[in-house]
Amino acid sequence: MTRAASWAILLLGLTYFILPLLGMIEFSLSMRRGEYSFDAYVAVLGDPQFRQTFSYSVMMALLTIVFGMLLVVPTAFWVRLKLPHLRPVIEFITLLPLVIPAIVVVFGYIRLYNTSSWLPLTGSVLGTNLLLMFGYATLSLPYMYRAVDTGLRTIDVTTLTEAAQSLGAGWITILGRIILPNVLVAVLSGAFVTFAIVMGEFTMAALLNRPAFGPYLQLMGANKAYEPFALATIAFIITWACMGLIQLVTRFTKHDKAAR
Amino acid sequence: MTFLTISRLEKSFGANRVVKDFNLEVEKGEFISLLGPSGCGKTTVLRMVAGFELPSAGRITIAGKDVSRLRPNHRNIGMVFQAYALFPNLTVAQNVGFGLKVKGAPAREIAARVAEMLALIGLPEMGERYPYQLSGGQQQRVALARALAPKPQVLLLDEPLSALDAKVRVSLRNEIRAIQRELGITTIFVTHDQEEALSMSDRIVVMHQGVADQVGTPFDIYNRPATRFVAGFVGTLNTLTAQVIDPASGHVRVGGSDLVLGRALPGGEVVLGLRPEMLRLGAEPGMASLTGTITELDFLGSVIRLRLDLGDQRLAVDLFNTTRATPPRVGDSVTLALDPADALVIGA
Repeated sequence: MTRAASWAILLLGLTYFILPLLGMIEFSLSMRRGEYSFDAYVAVLGDPQFRQTFSYSVMMALLTIVFGMLLVVPTAFWVRLKLPHLRPVIEFITLLPLVIPAIVVVFGYIRLYNTSSWLPLTGSVLGTNLLLMFGYATLSLPYMYRAVDTGLRTIDVTTLTEAAQSLGAGWITILGRIILPNVLVAVLSGAFVTFAIVMGEFTMAALLNRPAFGPYLQLMGANKAYEPFALATIAFIITWACMGLIQLVTRFTKHDKAAR
Repeated sequence: MTFLTISRLEKSFGANRVVKDFNLEVEKGEFISLLGPSGCGKTTVLRMVAGFELPSAGRITIAGKDVSRLRPNHRNIGMVFQAYALFPNLTVAQNVGFGLKVKGAPAREIAARVAEMLALIGLPEMGERYPYQLSGGQQQRVALARALAPKPQVLLLDEPLSALDAKVRVSLRNEIRAIQRELGITTIFVTHDQEEALSMSDRIVVMHQGVADQVGTPFDIYNRPATRFVAGFVGTLNTLTAQVIDPASGHVRVGGSDLVLGRALPGGEVVLGLRPEMLRLGAEPGMASLTGTITELDFLGSVIRLRLDLGDQRLAVDLFNTTRATPPRVGDSVTLALDPADALVIGA
């Protein structure tokens, strides 16, 4: 392939991806007739509902990340260390959220945990928030598990664990001081994907009737012209900021250059 | 008094018995090597002492305490691994101090011990480096320092030199032995390299198919092998089938030559083991002799290795290279002298 053809394909690809984004950004700046302005952004950022739903979703995203880490890191570690024969089964389970629609999952939750069930989580705000967080963790499971598992693959889990054990370390020390720091970049990449999923998630939050950012996006899209595009641009910037953070963390992790 | 005792140790993985009735008594400060080919069970024994595998049967006691069922982090055992196993996220100093930190030692004590250990391994300036910034030999020294820092009762070395190049391997094995002698720490060393085992150990355990075939000093293992496997595995050994002519005097016939071993032998056929370096070129008074034809000659620098046809049997001979002697040539018929006492009669 000639150099010119390579450039042409690259430009075509860039155009395919960037042009719609440029259109979206351009439209979000066109609220004021005849000139570009940030009016749509000012309107969105000044909306108390935006601040409320955005901070709710950020909080839920952080809780989901913490819960996901506590669930996935020890599980993936244990599977690698003691149950390698169960890896295909665990991988299959972690892939299920990709094939089971969120609406099915949330209806299952509502049936199982409604106010007349043995565990009436939907009967209180705290319980519903907890349920929503579990739902988010389920949705992000394929990405989180894969990211952590890939991170664990880059280190000799068994030998490092045995070395730490021979030095007197227990399981919590091994996980917290040896395994987690060595897969931190992988965990963070899973965490940022989780963050992006939670920030845009609509189905679960809407059906559990929680004031999340996803339903707010949908509400704005149904009722306003320019603000949804400003919101989409903000969401897009958040996603790219997350990806940039992954790169930064990778770059500033000194030991990441280690020969493993 | 015995410091570490392993008695009737067994380990099975499913139907596969990898360690069978293994017994060993180790004195305090002794350096013991477990030597054997891949799959002989030596690493499994070491891992059971470390606590990474639970024995199927048997007992391990350290300083009189039964540790057979104790978790690895409660055994106070230091271990060095083949793959170094340094924690990549920690600096050299943090790696060395890890065991002490886990024990909750004060920071000042940790810093002092880390400095002492780094000085011991000859890397006093490397404390702030990360493992990836060190060579393989340096990494293994740090792994040794890390294992020794918490003052373990026993040091276990699982083929620590296998991943290093030949030159580093020789210098590091001398260092390990010197450090072990200096600290007087009881050490079990696993290796499949007989030269390492012979040069470093107080005693060697030669393992074969999960069983300790022979336990002895390097001298005994090399010069007085108890079994055919030990004789063949440790060093190079010529095995020759000999026809016993007179069992009482040990008169045998090998490839057309007669030898009188001067010790009683069973009747019929016996297998003789001859080390290549025990044979010398030319007949010597008072020595037994063998006659053969040179079929191959390899010049190895300090040693010239000959291969001879001895009737229908083959024999390797190592001669020291000297500038005075003219080396023989392929096709020459030569006489070899040997002290009958050097000929091993190999059992099972």
